Amino acid sequence: MATNTVGLFDAPATALAAAGELKGAGFDATSIISPIPLHGAEKVLGEKKSAIKRFTFFGGLFGMLFGFSLAAGTAVLYLHPTGGRPIITLPPFLIITYEMTILCGILATVIGFLVSARFPAMRERVYVPEAAVDKFVVSVLCSDDEHDRRAEEILRSAGAEEIRRLREED
Amino acid sequence: MQAERDISYADVNRDVVRSLVETGSKYYITLAISVSVMLACFFAPWFYQLQYGIGAAGMNHPTVWGTYLASFIFWIGLSHSGTLLSCVLHITNSSWRKAMYRSAEAMTLFSLMVAVTMVMVHLGRPWFIHWAVPYPNQMELWPNFRSPLMFDVMAITTYLTGSTIFIYMGTIPDFAAVRDRTTGWRHHMYVLLSLGWRGTDTEWHRLGWAYTFLAVLIIPLAVSVHSIVSWDFALSIVPALHQTIFAPYFVVGAIYSGTAGIVTVMFVLRKYMNFEHYITKLHFDNLGKLLLVLSLIWTYINVLEIFTGWYSGTSTEYEAIRYKLFGYYAPLYWEMILFCAVAPLLMISKRFRTSFVPMLILSIAINIGMYTERFLIVATSLSRQYLPDAWGIYVPSLVEISIMVGSLAMFVTLFLIFVKIFPSISIYEIKETLPEPEPKTQSESGAPEWQPTL
Repeated sequence: MATNTVGLFDAPATALAAAGELKGAGFDATSIISPIPLHGAEKVLGEKKSAIKRFTFFGGLFGMLFGFSLAAGTAVLYLHPTGGRPIITLPPFLIITYEMTILCGILATVIGFLVSARFPAMRERVYVPEAAVDKFVVSVLCSDDEHDRRAEEILRSAGAEEIRRLREED
Repeated sequence: MQAERDISYADVNRDVVRSLVETGSKYYITLAISVSVMLACFFAPWFYQLQYGIGAAGMNHPTVWGTYLASFIFWIGLSHSGTLLSCVLHITNSSWRKAMYRSAEAMTLFSLMVAVTMVMVHLGRPWFIHWAVPYPNQMELWPNFRSPLMFDVMAITTYLTGSTIFIYMGTIPDFAAVRDRTTGWRHHMYVLLSLGWRGTDTEWHRLGWAYTFLAVLIIPLAVSVHSIVSWDFALSIVPALHQTIFAPYFVVGAIYSGTAGIVTVMFVLRKYMNFEHYITKLHFDNLGKLLLVLSLIWTYINVLEIFTGWYSGTSTEYEAIRYKLFGYYAPLYWEMILFCAVAPLLMISKRFRTSFVPMLILSIAINIGMYTERFLIVATSLSRQYLPDAWGIYVPSLVEISIMVGSLAMFVTLFLIFVKIFPSISIYEIKETLPEPEPKTQSESGAPEWQPTL
């Protein structure tokens, strides 16, 4: 079972510096747990890409096709001629299409968020409750005791006020 | 936003958790009153109406729409500033939004719920409401998508879904913060609601993207919702309703009354939830400026409505305008002008905008005026149509007036429940506005410090 060495910092700047040093020392599985989003984190830990935008786009596209098919299909299947007007009338059907595009786009965004952030969590993961209040935590996955010691050394020298070792369920 | 006193991150957690778990007798008394008023003034008359038929309401030929639909437009309108304003301010990176947006979004959600209930009340046979939903059924009955009422069903369903998701998603980190500091049933509830949020850099990154995408999707949605509500009226061929200006008129009116609603809610939260340090004069000042601009746009559209009616040169439009300005409902019209066009000019003064009680009074006055506007749209137009022998006066019955009051109590009840479940101000976003914590311990390695762009 892998161990996570976590260091608690009282300021974002020192936490980011520690994460940068760990990354430089070859610890790839480093993450920062913080009470606020740290916009400098990507500079230190590398740029992140998420698939959420694809979910939104394809969700919206599906909604657009579904919305128009729903309105036009209904009109074709259940004919309701009014005053010689066309059965598939674009202006009102575009409104239904528009609303369904947004509805499906929203729902797909949520699914994209849940998938890409791995929610809901089904097992215990590394967590430090102080990180929801005022501590900035650097967590690093260590495969053996040697790694563990090196990580602790780097975290301490970077100014961690406390070091913990946490195990994550497999 | 800068808090007025030195607040630490831990203070924010403590203050917000306190607002959730510490409940005084005043809260229970207010809740008991609002629940009682809701039951007595909303549900009791509604059941009476269900039993005796829709005739219990004062709606009759020619005014077949009354206060129920006026209330529907009012509540949909009130919902408009919350999520819409929050989305716009999020995209434009306005930090003053952070202390107030959660409650504003809740206002959206509950106004929408009340609005949907008003539609149910307006229906003669609400048990057939599912007929408006497109699903395969043995009657081969499908809704007519050419009807603006179906646009409404789709738009409001989408808006309600979008607003619920938007407020929930923005609160996930706060649920996690509250989860760690609560016990018992509350703890279990927040464990479920927080989905296992930890606050890792990856989670923040994903939340940031998803939240921004939702904001971008919701802005045009909100505009479309009230445009569609306006088409319920404007697509009819009733004089004074059949106007192209109606969509922007409704959207501006909705944002206007919604912003006034936010001012009212902010006052109450500040005063009774002890958030004086978070909701400051700055918020009232900014909301006041926004209200002032909206009132001027709203006034312009009102003037324009009269001008286009006059310029049309048709007798029906002339009569509609004359009746609105000088007819049976004229006192209500001028009350609306006083509350929504004249009184808001006081907000030119910064002193007025930063005074809490006057802003509260004005915000309530604006919403009274805006309710009147919605009533006048329905009542003055339907009671004077083409044929003089089919003219008639509409006066709401006691059942309608009672349900109107009861709908307000329903909104208050929902909001009171909300403030004890959802953190009413955003913990993590308030923290973002505070000065960044300084390191207490010195780095031994002298490593270069990264400067995050907070």
